[in-house]
Amino acid sequence: MTISKYTLAGLAAALLIGLAAPASAGTLENMERERAIMIETMLSGDIGNNQRQGRLDIARTRLLDLERMVLRDKSLLGKNQPLVRAAFDNYDLTFVVHASVENNRSLADHWLSEIGLSTQAIMNARSGRR
Amino acid sequence: MTMTITRTADRQTRLLTAAVLALAVLAAAPAGAAAATEKWAPVASEKLMRLPGDFLRKAVDNDFARSGLAQELVGLDEQVALKRATLADLQRAIERSGDADIRLDLQHQFLSEKRNYIELMREHQEIRRRRAATKVKLYERLLANMNRERRATTPGKAAFIAKQTAARERFEASVSQVDAEILASAAASQSRYAREYARNLTAVQELAAAINAHPMNAAPAIDGQPVTQGEYLRQLIAENQGSLAIISQERAILGHMAKLVSLDALALSEGIAGEVYAEIDIDDTDEAPNQVTSAVEFFTIR
Repeated sequence: MTISKYTLAGLAAALLIGLAAPASAGTLENMERERAIMIETMLSGDIGNNQRQGRLDIARTRLLDLERMVLRDKSLLGKNQPLVRAAFDNYDLTFVVHASVENNRSLADHWLSEIGLSTQAIMNARSGRR
Repeated sequence: MTMTITRTADRQTRLLTAAVLALAVLAAAPAGAAAATEKWAPVASEKLMRLPGDFLRKAVDNDFARSGLAQELVGLDEQVALKRATLADLQRAIERSGDADIRLDLQHQFLSEKRNYIELMREHQEIRRRRAATKVKLYERLLANMNRERRATTPGKAAFIAKQTAARERFEASVSQVDAEILASAAASQSRYAREYARNLTAVQELAAAINAHPMNAAPAIDGQPVTQGEYLRQLIAENQGSLAIISQERAILGHMAKLVSLDALALSEGIAGEVYAEIDIDDTDEAPNQVTSAVEFFTIR
């Protein structure tokens, strides 16, 4: 009984698949992905206001848990990596759901305010050529 | 006449033995080298460093108790106790003895036993010194390891950890406010994560409280005052250095004892010598027959 080339190739492929580590993202990566989607929803001009609000409510509930998972994740303590450093450099922008509730602002108001876009600033802005 | 010769020979033997004993004690006195062959070499392991409170001291003491050095110390303890009892018995016997010869014999034996006692005590002290010195080294290594770990945290990393801790504290402070606000406004109920986390947290808190209240998990304390692990280690080092100083003082005491034994031996040998020479009949008077003047007549009369 001989083993064919195809059988060997199949076995090797199965072995490689078995050895490959599952590519799982950490708590911080998951939170950052959700935050990016939430901001995209907030800024999207393709959806109506009601739809946007509905999506933001869902995103907020999901982000609430994800932010807590990051803040409680002991494996991130002292992990001096650029992504982790950047996340903890600005609590108000990273943990946007918690910070918005703390500041009694809506999610969108809080985020826009944190990046320097307040109603006052927009009202004071003048259109011109750069 | 025969009896006098026998007694004289016997006393000369004793004189020789006492002198040898005095010399032996004098020769051994300053060295203080003991023949402890067993070893105890504890390792400043990571496991030892993580032990809470007084566990560290107990673990080190247990490790010593299992070592060959501890067995040697226990054996020596028993021998020293027996030797002390022998010395007490001999001392009482000397006090009660009426016969001069028996008394001399007992004194001689007493000196010999005192010398043995000093040797045993010297070995005993050496093992105790080695135990204290090993403990000092071990605790110093543990302290150095602890300090090295602390130094491994760079100022940048420390600042980053501080920032993370501040974020967590801010979150903990606002969590109930956030819960109230989000759950009141959101159409969805509490998430599965939130529910299960809260349930697990209760279990974790109960277990943590049980661990904290456990008597074997007592925090290190000095005279009832809670201290850090570093301070506790420094206290252990100081205690063992104190033991080393005491052992050094005890060694001086042993040296004085050895000196006294040698002086006693010399005194005993001098006493025997006096008695031995007193029995030899030397006529030292001017009228002795062998005076040179008595022979003058052999030269003057022809």
